[in-house]
Amino acid sequence: MATTLVSLPLPALPEGWAAEKDFKPVGKLTKDSAAQRAIEPVGPHFLAHARRARHKRTFSEDDR
Amino acid sequence: MSASKTGPAPSDRVAIGITFGNSNSSIAYTVDDKAEVIANEDGDRQIPTILSYVDGEEYYGQQAKAFLVRNPKNTVAYFRDFLGKDFKSIDPTHNHASVHPEEANGVVSFTLKDKAEEDAAPSVLSVEEVSTRYLRRLITSASEYLGKKVTSAVITIPTNFNDKQKAALLAAAAAADLEVLQLISEPVAAVLAYDARPEAELKDKIVVVAELGGTRSDVAVVASRGGLYTVLATAHDYEFAGFALDNVLMDHFAKEFLKKNPGKDPRENARSLAKLKMEAEQTKKALSLGTNASFSVESLADGIDFSSTINRLRYETIARNVLEGFNRLVESVIKKAGLDVLDVDEVILSGGTSHTPRIAANFTNIFNPSTTILAPATTTTAINPSELQARGAALQASLIQEYEADDIEQSTHAAVTTVPHVTNAIGVVSVSESGTEVFIPIIFPETAVPARRTVLVAAPKAGGDVLVKIVEGNTHIKVTKPEPKKAAAGKANGSNSKAAMVEDAGESGDEGDESDFSDDSEDEEKREKVWKIGATLAEAAIRGVKKGGKVEVTINVTADLTVTVTTREVGSKGGVRGTLSA
Ligand SMILES: Nc1ncnc2c1ncn2[C@@H]1O[C@H](COP(=O)(O)OP(=O)(O)OP(=O)(O)O)[C@@H](O)[C@H]1O
Ligand SMILES: [Mg+2]
Repeated sequence: MATTLVSLPLPALPEGWAAEKDFKPVGKLTKDSAAQRAIEPVGPHFLAHARRARHKRTFSEDDR
Repeated sequence: MSASKTGPAPSDRVAIGITFGNSNSSIAYTVDDKAEVIANEDGDRQIPTILSYVDGEEYYGQQAKAFLVRNPKNTVAYFRDFLGKDFKSIDPTHNHASVHPEEANGVVSFTLKDKAEEDAAPSVLSVEEVSTRYLRRLITSASEYLGKKVTSAVITIPTNFNDKQKAALLAAAAAADLEVLQLISEPVAAVLAYDARPEAELKDKIVVVAELGGTRSDVAVVASRGGLYTVLATAHDYEFAGFALDNVLMDHFAKEFLKKNPGKDPRENARSLAKLKMEAEQTKKALSLGTNASFSVESLADGIDFSSTINRLRYETIARNVLEGFNRLVESVIKKAGLDVLDVDEVILSGGTSHTPRIAANFTNIFNPSTTILAPATTTTAINPSELQARGAALQASLIQEYEADDIEQSTHAAVTTVPHVTNAIGVVSVSESGTEVFIPIIFPETAVPARRTVLVAAPKAGGDVLVKIVEGNTHIKVTKPEPKKAAAGKANGSNSKAAMVEDAGESGDEGDESDFSDDSEDEEKREKVWKIGATLAEAAIRGVKKGGKVEVTINVTADLTVTVTTREVGSKGGVRGTLSA
């Protein structure tokens, strides 16, 4: 996909912000964050999805 | 959606796309990744789904359609929707002017005199047999055009075709010696036809596909996410379709004829009615192209010729009720999807009736100006709506023709196609000019996972240490009502008329029965879609960003809803990476 370019800037880091390896986990997705639905088995991107799913590959493994 | 087991080896296949409608069918193939609809030996790309028998000779397509006037008792039309149906559940409305469906051996059948001998008994043909015969004609036509025997096809079907209907269609195709690689749904074929254009950009978008045919209209809301399509809602209507527009013109001209020839209503005689219908359809099509059209029939009733004209404005006035029916259908399916018209990025008009300029024009009024209405009347680069499905089917056929039938079967299995779709958007927080926090979506709601998306976001002008705050988000519709005119006029002194803000509770993703479709009672009411920041998922720091620098943020969500955030300054090595296990 074409990468979107956003011109509104990110905020500056608040004074005193600190976290291990500069990453602070806060929340997560839960079962309630998603619904099971059917994607249509049509088109080139579906074929790529099916290939990854059937070979249990991730996006980055697929990139290689 | 199974592929037949005993088909040809992938390397021996000649595969095409077929759309098999109640009114018309089309055949298409791909050359160099470009889909083309094939003209049959009569030069038709929309081939009427009709068979007719005269002295044992079989006619199909346009030639068979012409026989609706002279040979209706041996002409079978409007049968596709009867496949796999119980006789009791079919609607024979459209079969009045041709062979009537009947029940024979427990299946919908037609009695036709299909043999040459004067005294030969008529044949009772099941709807499957009729379909097989018709499909054979399509395949022969495609084979002649391509110069090699067509072995396989992808066929489009409506989204509400059930398993029995699919099975009947597959059986009809198998009997015609056609391997069905896959049955794909009509709206998705239309989306694929557009997405396969070389100039198409892969974008996350909500697409409404309005499939407006001859005997039915089907509308679907499709979430298109990274080229994966999910149907969110569908609606089907058998009242507002092409035939209803024909009826409007038939009544119009019948009344005109009656005025000149009192007591001679061409609607009361089957043959006159057939002529009336045939010419009304021609006139209707002409009105899609020009602003004036003629209507003329030789010997319309009692040997009297009739000729008249109508202009588009008059047509749109007398057909208004039908034309507006399409609006309501589209609005209802968006509501059913829990969305608002403002959520829709694209509207694809597909099917023959979509050529009607007024329908496309009405849609531009329902939607925001930012919504693209893809119809010939509104977008010069629109694909011919009558060709979208066949093209989509042909593209899919070319994508999968090299696969073994088993492979196709496994890939289209629910275990592969049923996946979690995130309910909320996931994005990053930016700062507006006025200093407020703004949600920037990275992964949109209704995105199937696994999914991965990247955005580039500006750092503060001065650079320095930057906060990357990953949050969930969703949209709501903000309605801004102007103050009542009188009151505003009374107060008016200096200050800009202060707009009263009313916030609509209906959020996208909800079963938003509250997301109202404004009925324009407040003509200057402004409705806009705004993002709302939800729960925070994570924070990360990118330090020492240079002046004018940009930050890349990638979000990856796996099938088990684990979120991985990767972020770095564009052009720098390293960066921060963190994982949120579900
Ligand atoms: N240029 C045109 N302007 C207006 N209507 C048109 C035009 N071309 C075709 N139509 C109408 O489109 C309808 C046929 O649509 P289509 O070819 O998509 O058929 P279909 O999918 O087989 O229909 P269904 O299955 O709903 O009966 C007919 O009512 C026909 O008169
Ligand atoms: Mg159709």
